Parts: sequence; structure tokens; C-alpha cells
Amino acid sequence: MSLNDNDVILQVKDLKKHFTPHQSLIQSLAGSGQKRPIKAVDGITFDLRRGEIFGLIGESGSGKTTTGKMIMKLIEPTSGTMVFNGEDVTHTDKLRTQVYRRQVQMIFQDPYASMNPRFKIRDVLQEPLIIHKIEGDNQKHDEMIIKSLTEVKLNPPAEFMGRYPHMLSGGQRQRVATARTLILNPMLLVADEPVSMIDLSTRAEILAMMKDVQRDLGLTYLYITHDLSTARYFTDRIAVMYLGRIVEMGPANELIDNPIHPYTKALIEAVPEPMTGKVDVIKELPISGEIPSPANIPPGCRFHTRCPYAKPECSEQSEPELMDAGNGHFHACRRWKEI
Amino acid sequence: MSAKKSNSRFQEFWDDFRREKSGLIGLGILAVAILVVIFEPLFLPYKDVNEGNWRNISYWEDNSSAAPPAWTNIFTSKKSAVSTTFNSPEVSTEEDPNYGLVTTYSFKYNYKYDLPPLDLIIRAKASGMSLFLMELERPDGNIVPVGEQFFEGLNEDQIRFSMDTDAASNAYEFARQFASEEALANSDSTTIRPTFVAFSETGSDMLSARVPLKGTYTLRIRVPSFITDDSNNVLEDLRLIVTGRVSGILGTDTYKRDIFTGIVAGLKWALFIGLATSVVSVLFGVMYGIISAYFGGFVDTSMQFVYQIFAGIPVMPLLIVLAAIFKPSIWIIMGVMIVFSWTGSVMTVRSMAFQIKEETFVEAAKALGSGKWRIIFKHIAPILLPYSFASMALAVPGTIVYEASLSLLGLGDPTIITWGQILHDAQNSGATLNGLWWWIVPPGLFIALMGATFAFLGFAMDKILNPKLRTR
Repeated sequence: MSLNDNDVILQVKDLKKHFTPHQSLIQSLAGSGQKRPIKAVDGITFDLRRGEIFGLIGESGSGKTTTGKMIMKLIEPTSGTMVFNGEDVTHTDKLRTQVYRRQVQMIFQDPYASMNPRFKIRDVLQEPLIIHKIEGDNQKHDEMIIKSLTEVKLNPPAEFMGRYPHMLSGGQRQRVATARTLILNPMLLVADEPVSMIDLSTRAEILAMMKDVQRDLGLTYLYITHDLSTARYFTDRIAVMYLGRIVEMGPANELIDNPIHPYTKALIEAVPEPMTGKVDVIKELPISGEIPSPANIPPGCRFHTRCPYAKPECSEQSEPELMDAGNGHFHACRRWKEI
Repeated sequence: MSAKKSNSRFQEFWDDFRREKSGLIGLGILAVAILVVIFEPLFLPYKDVNEGNWRNISYWEDNSSAAPPAWTNIFTSKKSAVSTTFNSPEVSTEEDPNYGLVTTYSFKYNYKYDLPPLDLIIRAKASGMSLFLMELERPDGNIVPVGEQFFEGLNEDQIRFSMDTDAASNAYEFARQFASEEALANSDSTTIRPTFVAFSETGSDMLSARVPLKGTYTLRIRVPSFITDDSNNVLEDLRLIVTGRVSGILGTDTYKRDIFTGIVAGLKWALFIGLATSVVSVLFGVMYGIISAYFGGFVDTSMQFVYQIFAGIPVMPLLIVLAAIFKPSIWIIMGVMIVFSWTGSVMTVRSMAFQIKEETFVEAAKALGSGKWRIIFKHIAPILLPYSFASMALAVPGTIVYEASLSLLGLGDPTIITWGQILHDAQNSGATLNGLWWWIVPPGLFIALMGATFAFLGFAMDKILNPKLRTR
């Protein structure tokens, strides 16, 4: 990697989050059931370049949302570092966190739940201005609210300001949620499955809007999703997560056209394609079973329990690290040349 | 959901509330109660009762003791004279053979009952000196000489002349004109009741038969001109009080107090004690529950420990001990009730707050940089507020009954009037044994009615607001 430090907005290094399950007093006295940490995120490393859209992909339970929340500083990492704009922000005091939150914002998955049902759209959008004590009276704030509503293409903005969230469609709500994050002029937006709960018909519109906003304002996105098809369309680079680790990372088109890791291959296989003559054919998936419990991660390559190409060496040898395959394409499969 | 409906949460609430019959009944009674409190001066027969006169024996001395309500006459065969006050006498001047020019104040009283009043009382406010020459003209033309009374050294003082105590000998003299020798031998001026003589048909057996003489009686008070000419002598607010055997809407107690006055004056205290105590304690309990849930962990554990202590202490014995140690004051009583009754809503609120704090919008607010208190007050508390309205209404009956129980034990605040204290006095005076039901039933009934009113309101609100606790 020959990247200038100025090009990297966020550097994540060996970030881990282990949750310790609660134990009752009697359980811990009896010593039954050893405390086994749940390794939601188990050492991930990646760089976010200024102005790019970085996709984080994985099935449920892979730790992608936990990663987003750690970057949002909603949960404290167990270990590892995060460097934002050259400054270590892994553990910050209250004041620094507040400044950080003006620069990093988040769009949540569920647009129905991410806004207080008792707030009008105007109140929803004014909240960040009040929290961060942005100068100006109500009128000045209204101007800023109208500006950000226009940015997300909610027209006419004045009409939406007096409404409650439940009076809006899912797509409109996600636009409002985006406007709420934009009002503070952030540098980095964490978008946690922003379109997964929106009708298929409006998904593309929302993504196009987000892309326009990104281009206009020069934002960086961390796009968290389980949906490969939108990721290819939307992102510049993609990292695939499995059970708390990145198993493959690379430019979006390259990764999807030439997947290396068997897990990525399986994910791409799983995308349904509408094809004539294949009406009743259900694709056979190369992998089977559920994702293992993060409290009980398989030894060696953590994917070997579900991998169709697994050999004894996969479970016997230590866990493979990310390896460079050229063109900025990284993967974590030691048998990649054989398969 | 139509746009119009959701325009206003209150409109939506009201649409639901209108369908709850019990809630509407509760709301109606509460509205009437509030109107009564606002327009209390219009309802109070004794207007000065709030100025500490409830326990002032001389304030009530013109009333009859333990008189049933006036409307009980409907159910009795012998009608009793009703207590009445006459305020505006007819004034005229005439010539008197002994005193020359006199000013005459005459009160006309239409007596239509079977049992005569217990007393006729003349009252006035006067300065300087005054001389009253009083007589009672009966419908049959006979005149009962009531008496002559001289007052002096007055300075805006109340003067009082009671026929029952001050005119006994004159009434006896009147009876002697008609009654038989035999009847007179068995009695003297101390054994007769002046009003019996004055309101009975004349005849030889008038002292024993007491046939009522119905018709218009005229009481005349003459004041000679040598008194009225002197400008130092002022006489004003002259009135005649007929102390009947039945009195007012709810009768009187053995201390001659008008019970209706007590009930009306007690209403504002019942409302105040009930509402203030429950609003403060429920608001505190709700905030306690939210804070306990939101902070969680050690804070939650220690707050729950404190909660367990307060929830475990029985309030009634504690109130009794405290009221016995301190001078019973309504503020202390309310304070103690608040300190020990906030626990009611804590657990429910805590469990609901646990749920709300995991909502995405709370997380979103955190991501925006909201502080803990902003989230508690702006995001969690407003959602739990409707629930607390219902709890408040449901807590009101409890506090009213607590205060009444304390008062019943004689530990109430003596400077105010409460229904519980009326019941306490009734119990002390053996009202139950003496059959003074009008002293016991109304305060008891009104305590129950106020309790029911708020219970109705609370249940109706609970029904409507609780399903709305889900946040979307």
C-alpha cells in the first residue's frame, strides 16, 4: 500500500469487540458454565480513503453492525485502534467525542425506528443543531433544515417540516434520516443497511440520492450491507466479513467478478438472478449450515466448518492473515491457488 | 391513520376517551367539583368558615344542635320549624306612650309548622349604646312581650338577644293570662320554653297541649329616638335568626356546625391533598424508574435497593407516629405521603424504560451526540408521561383515604376542614349511637365519590393510553 496519510480518513487496526455474557451469582459461585466471551468483532484492519464509498458485507452475525457502532463510538472497542484524520480516537473524553460526532455520523437500518415518533420532522432535524449548540435562532435553524432537506431531494421541504415520521413513507424517512446526518456537515457517514428495509422500487432512488450527496459534499461512506447487488452498484471498495473477521477485501468490480475466498464465492452464487427458462430452479448453494456461534469460533480458518474445499490443514494450521493478490485485492484463504 | 386524527395527539386521545362512559362520568364529576371550588363563596351558607371558624364554638352558637336536614320534613307527619335568617327588617317611626318617638324594626315570620322553633335570636352590630324594646305580635292579635334590653359601651360589637334564655319570665307572664291554675302550679319560668308559649294556641291547657298557632308573626324592635338621634350610637346589620329544629341541606352536628358548609369547604382540601400528593409522588416515581433503568448496572442496583426499603415500610403506622410526634400539619402529612407513595409506579416505569432505551431512536440520538439527560427528558420521559397521567389519577383516591384515616384517628391538621375530620368528630360524639346519620353518611359518601371519580378517570386513561406505549 503506497497511500499518503492524507488520503486516509479513518484507519482501523486490529479492532476487537468481545462481549462478556452476564452470569448470575449462583452460576459464578458454582463455577458452572465458564465465561466465554462472545467475539463479535475479532481483529479487523482496514483503511477508509477520503471520498470513497467502502462497503462492509457479510451475513447476519458477522459483526459488521458492531464494527459500525464502534466507529460511531456507540460501543467501546475491547482492543485495537481507530485513527481518524491522523488522531487516535479509540478512547476519547466527553469533549473530544462530541467533536468527533460532528464529523462522523450514522444512518440507521430501520427508518421507522430511528426517529422519535413524538418528534416532528423539524424537531428531528433541529436536534443535532441544539445538541451541538449551533449558533442561530429558530429562523436560522429553519434555513439550515430546509437546505439539508433540499439536499436529500425532499420537495417542498417546508411541507415536510410539520409532519410526524409516521406520516412519511420508508423512503422519505430514510431521506430525512440522511438529512439529519448531513446538517452537521460531517466528513464520514456510517450507513448501516440504509436501504434494506425500503421497498425495492425506491432503493435505487435512495442510493442515487446518497451517491449524489456524497459527490456534491465530498463525503466518505462506510456502507454496511448484506446485499451484494447494491454494494456493487454503490461502492468503490468492498470488504467481506465472516464471523468477526475480514476474509476478502478489494475494489468492488474486481472482487465481485473475480472472487477468491470461497465464502465470497458462495455469497455471489447466492444472489438470485432473474433468468428466462430458470423459473422454478432454485440455486444449489455451495455452502450449508448456519454461521457458528461467535462464542465458540472454530480453530484454524474460521470458515472451514462450512467450506466446500476444506482440508484437514485448514483446521490444524493457525488462522490465515489477509494476503495480497495484487491490484489492491486481499484475501484470507491459504488454499486460494488450488481452488 | 387519517392525517386529521394524528394532527393532534390530544384530539386522538379525546376521540378514544369519549367512548369510555366511566371516564366521562369521572370527568363530569371532577368538572362539577372544580366549579364548586371556584364558586365556593356562592355555595357556602357560612362564608367565614374558612377563616378558622370551623372549630370556633361561638361562631355557631345561633344554630340548633344536631338538627336533621330541612328536607326531612317531607317524610315526617309533624313538620318542624326550619332554621331561617331574616336580614332586612321593615323600618318605620311611630309614637310610643313611654318613650316618645321610636324607630321600629319589624320582622315578619310566617310560621306554618307543627313543632315551633327552638329560639328566636336578635343580632346586630352596634357602637355606643342602644335600647331594644321587643315584642312579638301573634296571628291571633295577642302580643308577647319579649323584653327590654339596654346595651352600652359598644364599639362595633356584636349584640345578641336570645328569646330562649333572656325572655323566659316574660313568656311565663304571657302564659299566666290564659293557662289554668293547675298547669301554672306545675311550672315556673325556668321550666317552660318561651318559644312553645309564643307559638301555641292560647287556652287553659296551652302549657301542656301546645297546639301550634300557624300564621304570620311580627317581631318588633323599637329603638327610642334619644338613642337614634345621637350620632355616636350606630346600629347596623340588624337580623332575626329563627333557630329551627331542622336546618340546612345536611343538618347540623352536636357542636351546632352546619354540615353542608363543612362538606363544601372540605372539597377543596380533598382535591388539593389528593392531586398535589399524587402528582408529585407519581412524577418523582416515574423519573426514578427512568433514571434507574437508563443508567442500569450499579446505579440501577443501588436505586432498586433504596426502592425496596421505601416500598417495604408501611405508611400508615409511620404517619400515625409522625403525626403524634409533630404538631399535625397538612404539609407534614402530605410530605410523608409523598415520601412513601412514590414507589407505586417505579417498577412498571423501569421495565418500560428498559425497553425504550434500546430503541433505535435513542441510539440515533446518542450517535448525534445527545447527553444522558437530554435522552431521558426529551426521548424517554415524554413517552412514559401518558402512563403517569393514569397512575396519578389512580393514586388520588388512596391519598384522600389516607388523609381521612389519619383525621379519623384524630391526627389531622386542625387548621383546615377535611371530610375525614368531620367523620372523626362524628365518631367522637357518638353520632352512630345517637342516630345522627346526616353527620356520618355525607362525608363518607363524598370521600367515596371523590375516590370513584379519580378511579373512573384513571381506569379510562389507562385503557386508552397504555396500548399506545408501543412507540411506533
